[in-house]
Amino acid sequence: MNPRLVGSLVQKDLSIFFRNRFFAVITVLGIVLYLVIYFVMPKSEDATLTIGLYAPAEIPAFDLLGEEGLEFEGVASEEELRQAVIDGKVIAGISLPADTLGRLLAGERPTINVFFAADTPQETRGAIEAVIQELGYRMTGQSLAIEVSEEVLGPDLAGTSLPPRNRLRPLLAALLIMVETMGLATLISEELERRTIQALLVTPATASDVFTAKGVAGISLAFGQAALFMAIVGGLNQKPLVVLTALFLGAMLVIAAGFIIGAVAKDMLSVLAWSLPVIIIFVIPSIGIAFPGRVTRWVEIFPTYYFMDTLHRASNFGAGWGDVWQNLLILFGFDLVLIWLGVVVLRRRTR
Amino acid sequence: MIEGAIVAEELTYSYNGLLAVDHVSFSVAEGEILGFLGPNGAGKTTTVKMLTGQLRPKQGRAYLLGMDITQHAKKVQGQIGVCFEVTNLYEQMTAVENLKLFARLFGIRRFDAEVLLERVGLAGRGNDRVETYSKGMKQRLMVARAILNRPKVLFLDEPTVGLDPTSAEAIRNIILEERKRGATVFLTTHDMLDAEKLSDRVAFMNQGKIVALDTPHNLKQKYGRRALKAKVLSRDGELEDREVPMDTPDTPRLVQELFSKEKVVTVHSEEATLEDIFIEITGRGLVE
Repeated sequence: MNPRLVGSLVQKDLSIFFRNRFFAVITVLGIVLYLVIYFVMPKSEDATLTIGLYAPAEIPAFDLLGEEGLEFEGVASEEELRQAVIDGKVIAGISLPADTLGRLLAGERPTINVFFAADTPQETRGAIEAVIQELGYRMTGQSLAIEVSEEVLGPDLAGTSLPPRNRLRPLLAALLIMVETMGLATLISEELERRTIQALLVTPATASDVFTAKGVAGISLAFGQAALFMAIVGGLNQKPLVVLTALFLGAMLVIAAGFIIGAVAKDMLSVLAWSLPVIIIFVIPSIGIAFPGRVTRWVEIFPTYYFMDTLHRASNFGAGWGDVWQNLLILFGFDLVLIWLGVVVLRRRTR
Repeated sequence: MIEGAIVAEELTYSYNGLLAVDHVSFSVAEGEILGFLGPNGAGKTTTVKMLTGQLRPKQGRAYLLGMDITQHAKKVQGQIGVCFEVTNLYEQMTAVENLKLFARLFGIRRFDAEVLLERVGLAGRGNDRVETYSKGMKQRLMVARAILNRPKVLFLDEPTVGLDPTSAEAIRNIILEERKRGATVFLTTHDMLDAEKLSDRVAFMNQGKIVALDTPHNLKQKYGRRALKAKVLSRDGELEDREVPMDTPDTPRLVQELFSKEKVVTVHSEEATLEDIFIEITGRGLVE
């Protein structure tokens, strides 16, 4: 591989890309549109927390707490309370045994069971514990010694308290990257269909130079846009290196998809037809981030899950290398396998 | 030591078991123009692809400039120029950008695209996008691209097909200029006029094999049939054609009879064309 030749070919590919009005427009509009979407979405979540309550005994203090932004939803049994938490109807459930008040007045430490939804973040759990303390204070006028037993129902997804726009941030960044699949695939299919690749391959440039240039052009476009977007929307404020690494590995996925689609497509229309299902499949894991609890572990079969999960955790919760290294490793593995597959398909096509 | 700018030894290629090129051997000397003629599907393009390193021969070897093309493809490709039959330019780019890209790929540092464009008759259009060019202009640009690295061997695949006479003549002149510079030219064509005007030797390819290879003059001598063609006035006043074969023992008598018995209106001699000779050898025409 010759870096000088690759550089010339990258320059050519980028020049051709931006002369395609469709891709030039969707590239620029994409960033603008996604920024608009991000900034028009609420920057804070709804402050009202709905908490499930199973309390066989009447406790008047709950009415007082309800006036302070807390909403309690009474249920008939502890089992019903658990189900309400699992179904996401309430963010947490508090089960107060019938003898709670009696034991408190007798100077004992009653046990209060608290159930958290799988995606209840740590800060919300802390808030619920404070609610229980407040509850005790309102019942007796002083701090109480109570035993709180916490139980998390389902896998811990975390993140519900994120503003919706931050929840969408990984999806928007991923969409920016994925759309470049079409751009790269079009560059490749045009090179093949118009037979310009034949002209390149009878010069000192090799097939590896040509493919590498396509890859570099694709990564530059995909990674550049997504990094710019994340920088503008504050996605690089926490763990920027982790986020940028995830974006880079995500952009490599685009290369693989672009190689494969470019090799099978005949023109821009067929590129669009092949790309849309791929893009839809690739963004499915983002649903789990935008709407926690709606998808389960099956999304882990998609390589983009590891990309989006890393973006989400690093940009929204400050997850570091130690937290996401497995994701990045798996994503890199997917990248290598899919790029290898793409190169094989392309080589077959260029013979 | 391999003699000749292009040497093919038993070159063979098949597509899915179908033999496209069948043990073809020939050589082209430095500075020579070889016309490579044959109908569609004869195996010409496959041969060129093997000679230029685009296809690896199933059997046999090809040497360009003394180097085995399969072993030194990139080294060889740096010293050759290829003009394809199908237009394969970057149409969204300008002519200058197209040429500069390929100049960079060939490692040419000081390159003046305008000089080359002027040479192929595209002066003043260099900064227009290629998609705005006519077919003739695109073909000239293809030739310009093929010669920008001053190739030692130039492959031209149907360079004048479908062109207006001016563009075709411009390209013929460039081919002759390249030969004058010392380049070896491998000219694949259907066009007998091109082949006759330009080629030092011509090779006829048919069904994957070279069936004849010689100078046009020698081929005509060997296979051609000269004739005297006349138009005579018939008894009812209509013009009729008469043909007297030349170079036969009966020719003098037949000519005498023609003039004594018929009212000859026009008469001219006619030489066999390369097409006639191809038909003579293969039983089929060049354009099918």
